[in-house]
Amino acid sequence: MTAGPALLEIEDVLVTFGGVRAVDGVSMRVEPGSVVGLIGPNGSGKTTTLDAVSGNVRLQSGSVRIDGEEVTDYLPEERISVGLVRSFQDCRLFPELSVEDILMVCEDARHPVGVVSSTLQAPWARRSERRKRQEVDRVIDSFSLGRFRHHRAAELSTGTRRVVDLASIVLAKPRLLLLDEPTAGIAQREAEAFVPLLRRLRDVADCTILLVEHDVPMVFELCSHVVVLETGKVVSSGTPDEVSRDPRALAAYLGASAEALNVTGPTGASTPSGKEREGDRGESDGGRGGAGAG
Amino acid sequence: MAIPGFVLVQGVVVGLNYGLLALGLVLVYKTNRILNFAQGQLGVVAAVFLVKCTQGFHFDYWFSLVLAIGLAAAMGGLSELVLRRLFNRPRVLVMVATIGLSQVLYVFTALPFILPKNLSRPFPVPIHLSFTMGGFVFSPGEVLTLIVAPVVALALAAFVRFSPWGLAMRAMSENADSARLSGVWVRRTSTVAWTLAGVLSAFTAILASPGQTSVLTQPLSPDLLLFALTAALVGAMVNLTVAFVSGIAVGVIYEILAWNITSTASVQTIMFGILLAVLLVRVSALRKGSRSEERSTWLQGSAAMRRATTALRARVGATGVVVTLVVVALLPFVLSVGKSYLLSQICLYGVVALSLTVLTGWAGQVSLGQFGLVAIGAVMAAHLGGSIPLLLLLPFAGAVTAVVAVVVGLPALRVRGLYLAVSTLAFALWIQVSVVATTCWTVPLLGKRLCTGLPNPSSTLISRPSFFGLSLDTTRAFAWFALGVLVVSVLMVRVWRDRGVARRLVAVRDNEQTAAALGIPVVRTKLLAFALSGFMAGYAGVCLALASERFNTNTFDPTYSILVVSMVVIGGLGSIPGAVLGAVYLVGLPAIFGTTSTIQFLTSGFGLLVFLLYLPGGLSEVMHRLGDVTTDGVRWLLERPGVRSHLGGGGEGPGEPGEPVAVLAGAGEAPAAAGEGR
Repeated sequence: MTAGPALLEIEDVLVTFGGVRAVDGVSMRVEPGSVVGLIGPNGSGKTTTLDAVSGNVRLQSGSVRIDGEEVTDYLPEERISVGLVRSFQDCRLFPELSVEDILMVCEDARHPVGVVSSTLQAPWARRSERRKRQEVDRVIDSFSLGRFRHHRAAELSTGTRRVVDLASIVLAKPRLLLLDEPTAGIAQREAEAFVPLLRRLRDVADCTILLVEHDVPMVFELCSHVVVLETGKVVSSGTPDEVSRDPRALAAYLGASAEALNVTGPTGASTPSGKEREGDRGESDGGRGGAGAG
Repeated sequence: MAIPGFVLVQGVVVGLNYGLLALGLVLVYKTNRILNFAQGQLGVVAAVFLVKCTQGFHFDYWFSLVLAIGLAAAMGGLSELVLRRLFNRPRVLVMVATIGLSQVLYVFTALPFILPKNLSRPFPVPIHLSFTMGGFVFSPGEVLTLIVAPVVALALAAFVRFSPWGLAMRAMSENADSARLSGVWVRRTSTVAWTLAGVLSAFTAILASPGQTSVLTQPLSPDLLLFALTAALVGAMVNLTVAFVSGIAVGVIYEILAWNITSTASVQTIMFGILLAVLLVRVSALRKGSRSEERSTWLQGSAAMRRATTALRARVGATGVVVTLVVVALLPFVLSVGKSYLLSQICLYGVVALSLTVLTGWAGQVSLGQFGLVAIGAVMAAHLGGSIPLLLLLPFAGAVTAVVAVVVGLPALRVRGLYLAVSTLAFALWIQVSVVATTCWTVPLLGKRLCTGLPNPSSTLISRPSFFGLSLDTTRAFAWFALGVLVVSVLMVRVWRDRGVARRLVAVRDNEQTAAALGIPVVRTKLLAFALSGFMAGYAGVCLALASERFNTNTFDPTYSILVVSMVVIGGLGSIPGAVLGAVYLVGLPAIFGTTSTIQFLTSGFGLLVFLLYLPGGLSEVMHRLGDVTTDGVRWLLERPGVRSHLGGGGEGPGEPGEPVAVLAGAGEAPAAAGEGR
């Protein structure tokens, strides 16, 4: 696996459910290191687009390439080998596993140990287990999850589960990260706490992020590029600034009033573009970001 | 292939019974999404009661019939009321509960006011019509079936089509929650469905009984159930008409095969093949509407991943285990030969139960065919027992069985939950009736003979080999050996639990999608569960064969597979000590009170229902609480003044203090810290 953020190219992806064209010829190029937001009304094909990239739905036609490597026919579990990691909207994780075990499972996937050597407790198996536990301990500490270490996921609140989900993402060391509504189902106040969390994640994880989110101010704040979908088609794409002025985007999703963009609690921004200038590190080196919709 | 007319009619007679049984299965599945294993047994109670009424009380036949059917209806409705508490639990657990129910019903038929005094008299039939066709005499009982079964089916069709209950049932089968919100009385509807199922089952049993002598004494006949299930599956478990017609078709196919092929083994093999084919073909139709059940949490407060919270608690637990182990290890010195044999049986059943703990408790794949795998291990013991050392034989038999288990598990990649249970039950029956009972096979296309079975499948003597020069000939020595096998198995399973295997199995069970997204190979992990489970069942099979020093196909009846499922559930699904405790309870207890099937079913049936309904954590939960109480006691003793200095702070309270409470707020800094570390 090569290091560094990955380049994602989606070309003419068509996904149908019965007669419904859920994703209808979407093309997109997500530059390495950029954060691209995918917005649109319900049923516009945002999550299905993520599913198409992560391999959870079958493509009718079209292709998905990561760093030029054709991954269209890869199984979901094979895609981690090219550095693709995704979160799920429902964030169920594994209800019966403790937080510690969930994170250990992430490590298991990255450093598999054979069953026989694990059963016989071969020295290398012990060493690997010890290393994994250290790594997990470190992440648990850094996310302040120590108190929940032995709690099962089913016992956690949605907010805490989302934090665990992020911790597992950090462990998985993604090069391309797909986030499906990371703030869905958590309270406004907690969602606000999530914004800096996601921004740090983007900065430190050193990966490309494709984000689906309904919280438009948050998307405009985090993303260098925004793609607007409607009924499975791309209707607008560009920098948050451009999109917020694009009449098609306004008609499709943002609504008639651009003021909607300004409503986001106490930290609310004046305008999205103003916010970007506020020293958003991901943006400061300009040339890195960028997405082009075809 | 010759198909005389009377064989067809015979097939229709048999098939009508399958069809009625299938109707009951579909009815219950439609309303509650439950696979009712007690469907056959509900009616057996009625059939037995009918005999009691006509022969014991000398009632008029028709009056007795009304009483018997009323009893079955009441039993059906009552069963629904008992099982209702479980309806929001995973479907496979409810299915296990219906197995418990069928065992309780069996015990019920043995009650003095239901069981007739004389079982050998012919089953009462109200008509004396009979006819001859192609030299074959159709008895009044069969004529009755030909008349009554279609009438019953039509009556049911009319009920479902025209009554408001029928509409409610159809609504529930689509979406129970929405049906409830739009004013369908979900609970009452499901009671009605179960009552009807009881009536259907009563007709099945009463119509089927005149033809055979065994219905009254047979507790649970898996082959009958499997034929009915095949029919119900053709109707995707929801279509009543298709299920009934397929039931008749299954009967006709069976009779034609039985007429043309002399060996039961081959007939069973073909029927097994048909069932598997139906399952795999209908898989997408069956999957419809099952999403929510797959998403329900597997266990509430499961014991699978529980660990001691404090050092003192761990010490109390360890002490308990060590003391028990020492006591049990000393037992063979004082026990009689019979009781030593029982001890080894308990240990070895414990190993089989552990194999199911891995498969069902952790990986969530329900197997009703574990004894099919055990049988393979036993065959290996009979073949190789004398020729290779025991220490090699055990892992070798385990490895071979593991391969078989993986093949058995292959359908699990496409079908899941209830249907996998069905296919494994069919597998166990097939292994018993066809594979181990057959000495030599003719390979179909090649025409070669392949001899894998034993010369005398019903009774082959097996001599116990020595173990590292130590003779295992005495029962006492073998008890120690069995205990050793159990201890090694427990240690092995503990390693799997604590060092990485179990968590992967649980992860794939709980959320396949996320596991795949994290990079866990889903297919390989599922098959791994089957392989590990098969490995254990295989060497347990070797030991069980050595214990009885005899190979007998009857010892691998699917009933035993179901017994093992009961062990695991009663012990606490997913718990390692639970599996062992379940074996102690289900093998040890009946042995004390006498090993009749009534006692066997009494302990397991009531055990299953009571534990599933009121103590889902099982016996291990009881043990765990006992440990907690003991720990509290020990802590109280130690914390008295003057004792504390000895302890060195062993008994600190649960939970680590000083952690930030507001995780979300605190987590804001987190990834930065994580980033610094890399």
